[in-house]
Formats: sequence, C-alpha cells, structure tokens
Amino acid sequence: MNTFAVNYGNLFSITIPETILEVVSLLVLVVDLGFLRKSTQPARMTAACVLGVIGSVLAGLWLLTHSGTASFAGDALVLNSLVAAAQIGILLLTALVLLLSFQAEFSRNPGEYVAIVLLATTGMMLVAAARDLLVIFVALELLSLSLYVLAAFAKSSALSSEAALKYYLFGGMSAALMLFGFSYLYGLTGTTNLNGIAVSLASQGLSPLVVVAMVLVAAGLGFKVAAVPFHLWAPDTYQGAPAPVAALIASGSKVASFAVLVAVTGSLIPAASASRGATWIVLLVWMAGASILLGNLAALAQTSVRRLLAYSAIAHAGYMLLGIAANTPQSGAAVFYYALTYALTTVGAFGVIAVVERNMGSDRFDAFAGLSRRNPLLAASMLIFLLSLAGIPPLVGFWAKFNLFAAVLRAPGVGAWGLGMVIFALAASAVSLYYYLQVLKRVYVVPAMTDEPMAVSALEQLVLLVIALLVALLGIFPSALSGWIPLG
Amino acid sequence: MHLILFIIFAGFCLAGAINLLLQTHPINSALSLIVVMSSLAVLYLLLGAEFLAIAQIIVYAGAVMVLFTFVVMLLNVGEEEKTHGSKAAKIIGFPAIVAAFSVLTTVILAIQNKLGGVKLSDGVTPMTELSTVLFRDMLLPFELTSVLILVAILGAVALARKEGHR
Repeated sequence: MNTFAVNYGNLFSITIPETILEVVSLLVLVVDLGFLRKSTQPARMTAACVLGVIGSVLAGLWLLTHSGTASFAGDALVLNSLVAAAQIGILLLTALVLLLSFQAEFSRNPGEYVAIVLLATTGMMLVAAARDLLVIFVALELLSLSLYVLAAFAKSSALSSEAALKYYLFGGMSAALMLFGFSYLYGLTGTTNLNGIAVSLASQGLSPLVVVAMVLVAAGLGFKVAAVPFHLWAPDTYQGAPAPVAALIASGSKVASFAVLVAVTGSLIPAASASRGATWIVLLVWMAGASILLGNLAALAQTSVRRLLAYSAIAHAGYMLLGIAANTPQSGAAVFYYALTYALTTVGAFGVIAVVERNMGSDRFDAFAGLSRRNPLLAASMLIFLLSLAGIPPLVGFWAKFNLFAAVLRAPGVGAWGLGMVIFALAASAVSLYYYLQVLKRVYVVPAMTDEPMAVSALEQLVLLVIALLVALLGIFPSALSGWIPLG
Repeated sequence: MHLILFIIFAGFCLAGAINLLLQTHPINSALSLIVVMSSLAVLYLLLGAEFLAIAQIIVYAGAVMVLFTFVVMLLNVGEEEKTHGSKAAKIIGFPAIVAAFSVLTTVILAIQNKLGGVKLSDGVTPMTELSTVLFRDMLLPFELTSVLILVAILGAVALARKEGHR
C-alpha cells in the first residue's frame, strides 16, 4: 500500500503550479466578494479575469523555468517533458478562455466563475500528470464537477441548464462505471499504481475479469474524450453551455483526458506481450472507427455551428484514439501535439462564435452570412481556424494529422488493419472539409442581411488574431513545437 | 452466518433502493435512502471494514440524511408528478441492464476459484494506522478531495443564488 509520496518536499515542489492556481482562485473570490461587491458587473468580471490570467501565466512561467528532467512525487505524479508540455498548453488555453470571457454577460457571479475555471484547470493539470488510479479518479472528478457547474452558469438560459444536466447525468454514470473498472483493476493487481498494474497484468494471463475492467475503464475515459458510443452529451453541451465554457470543455479538458488515456494505455498494454494488450487496442480501434464515421457523417447534417463543432470534435477524438491505439512513444507524442493544436484552434473558433452570437443572438449558419464584409479580420480568423481543423496545409492542423497518421503507420505490427484505418481516417477527413466549407461559404459568399459592422471589443479581436497567427505560424514552422514535444 | 446476514441486508438494500425510485413523495424517498445507507453499513461490517461502516452510519445515514430531510421539509416539496419515461429506455434499457449484469455475474462465477481471499482488517485497526494512510500515504488524493468539496460548495452557492435585477 505504501506507494505514495512520503517526501512532502518533493510533492510540494512538483505541485507548485497547481498550488499557485489554488491560491489565485481563492484570491479572486476574496477580491471579488470582499472588495468589489458594490462595483459594476463589467468591472468585477474584468478584475476577476485579469487575476485569473495572471495566475495561469505565473504557473506557466514556473513550469517553463523548472521543467528540465523527469521528477516524481512518489509514484502518484510524474513531471516529464511531455507532461510539462501538456500542462503549459492547458494553462495557455485557460488564459485564452479567460481573456475571451471579459465580455461575457452570462453570469452575475464573476468571482465564482473565474475561481471554478482555475480549479478546473488544477484538475486538468493533475489529470495529465497522474500515474495512480486514485489520483486519476479524484482529479478527473475535480475537473468534471467544475465543468458541470460551469456549463450551468448561464442561469437565465434554459439551454444552459439542459446542457449541464445532460453532461452531469452522463458524467456521473460514466464516472461510476470507471470507478467500478478501477476497483476490478485494483482487485486483480493489488496496486493502484499504473506501473505496478502493468507489471502485474503482464505476469498473469488475460482473465475475463480484466476484459470487463478494460471495458468499464474505456467507458469512463471514452466519455471524457467524447468518443462514440459515449458521445451523446457532446452536441447538447457544446450548444447550450456559455461560449467560453464550451471552449474550455472542448480544449483543456480534452488535452488532459487524452494525456491520461495515453498513460493508462501504457499500463494496460504490457510491453512484454503485445498479444495480451490486444483487447484494449481492439476497444480503442473500435471506438476510434465509430467516432470517425459517426462524427463526420452527423456533422454534415448540422445547421448550428456549435453542434457542428461538437460532431467534428467527436471525429477528431477518433483520429487521436487511433494514435493512442498505435501505442509507441512517437504516436503518444503525436497525440499530444494533435490535442494541443486542436484545442488551440477550437478555442479560437468558439471565440468567433461568441462574438457572432452576441451580435446576432444565434449560432446558426444564417448568423454567419456575410461576416467577411461585416468584419474582415474576424472572418479571416474563422477561415484559418476551420481550414486548420480540416487539415489544410500549411496550417498547423495539417501537421498534426500528418504526424499522427505517420506515427500510426510507423508503429510495429500495424499491418493491413492499421493501414486500412488510416486510409479510412484520411477519407473521412476529406469529408470533413465539406462541412467546414459550408460555414466558410456563409462567411465569404452568402450576402449579409445587414451591412452594419459586427461589434467586437479590441481585446477579443486581438486575442483571436493572436490565436489565428499562432495556428498559421506553427503550421509554417512545424518544428517550433518539437523542442517541447519530441515527435521522433 | 455471514452469508445469511449478507442476503438479508443486501435484500434490504435493494428493496430500499427500488422503493426510493417508486415513491412519489420526497420524504418517503429520503427515508428509503436511509435504509439503503444503513444496510450498506452492515455490508461493510461483514467485509471487516469497521471504520467505513461507522463512518457510513454517522456521515451518510446520520448527517447527510438529516440535511436531506430538512431541505425537503423546508422547501415544502409536494408530491412528484410521475412521468412515464421514454419508450426506448424501457424497451432497450431493461434488457441491456439485465444483459450487462448477466455478463458480470458469469465472469465472476467463471473465475471464482482463481480469486484469492482478502482479509480487510485484522482485529482492530488503530487510529494511528488510519491517520498514517490518510495523511501520509494518501496525502495528495486527500487534499484533492478537499478542493473537490470546495468546488461543490462554490458551485452550489453560485447556481442556487437568485439572480435579481439590480
């Protein structure tokens, strides 16, 4: 049992970024509820968001300057270069989401909103770093519970309540299934540590109970990444949740969940015997195939841009699951690269949607008509985001897909099945271009109903342009991230 | 003896849970929940987890349920309206649940002989041992749980507060 950190100093030094976020989130509450009670709503939101951004940046800077070599807090947490990259990416995404929240008017409780966003970020960072079933579960619950609350934050909107309730019910159910699976894994191996589980599973045969445990764990983690058949919450939640919250659900939470999925895959497929891990790989490949197929086909039929992004998120989850199923260090790194760049692009797309919704009161295709004449910069940003999501060179989405599929094909023992899956995924991403272009057709071709310019604050415009620039530049210089993420 | 007690209290637990769902008045549902919690405590006791059993009684059957009933009575909640649920859930849901549990049972029965036994506690577990596990070995999950509770409190307050026009 004594597998955990007894070394308090080590534990503290590894969790300093999380501690910074916790302290800042409490500070936000004190400042907002203690000193700014009488201030106007926008002033309170601005103060809370500024504090939140400062907190994320501080935590990110600490990680940037202190993440050299791998370090451990007992066996429960690990901080190697990949995990640090994921954590810095999560912090960056949170900061962007908070920057895009300045204008948000959905809540009268800005202090609570920012505090819970920061606590959710803590959960994401710990999920990415956790290597122990118990810590993984508690951190995932911290993340999920925060997101349920955030999804319901627009109290005047019935859609927001519906989104939160659906997310919560599905989430509670899948968390229960995952915990059930974890309990079997613990019962079979006698340890909650991922390395210990890998060793123990390698030494015993594949009993039916292991398969049951794997299915249950796949249900829990499949829910977090919105993979078919655990995807039903995604369209409604993406549609109903307030735009910045939807961006957070689609970005940081996905990065964290894929990070933990990579770690769990490493322990459920013992390196020594490829055949015994086959069950888990088969599960992943089925989920990947179903997600790619259903996500892309259902997205074709959507007329709401948010629902379209939700179904495309399901498809993207499918591509990434393929990378995870390949289970080589390179494919793991490629999944990190894909998740981070995809998340960045999605935050930008939700930023544009938020602006359009504030002006037009809807996120349907018609609302985007003639955006290029009403606000050319906004339209250009949307163009870059959607083309990158479709995987058009030279944007970063192309390199993400290229690296991912190359890593899958390079994995040992891929065979005809793997090749077939990659060809299938490539064909599906060609289909995806159609629905992304449907949106862009509204933006650039269909004439606007009114010619008045789209009102957008300078800050939002700037943040969206910076994200678009990042997406373009990372695509033009694909090696820029390789110092962080060793693609091999 | 163990088996008989297990069957009796597992039966109580299931009956309480089903009754909880069938009752239309919230107070009756809350009282059924107490039956579920207390029977679970006995099941823990049968497994040799005395501390867990006591904690279950004090925290869940005691404190949490008192709060539950208070809230139900304070809000003066009336009878629930019964909805019939979706047809698809009935047609697909129940067979699916039966199938899932059958698979689980078959799997457990099939490998029953290979599973070893575990003694959860040897006699009395001293407080020091519990504290060592909780505050040293499991410090990180323990602290994380407290943050989790903070989020729950923040969320409950933020979501339940009335948003008046100022």
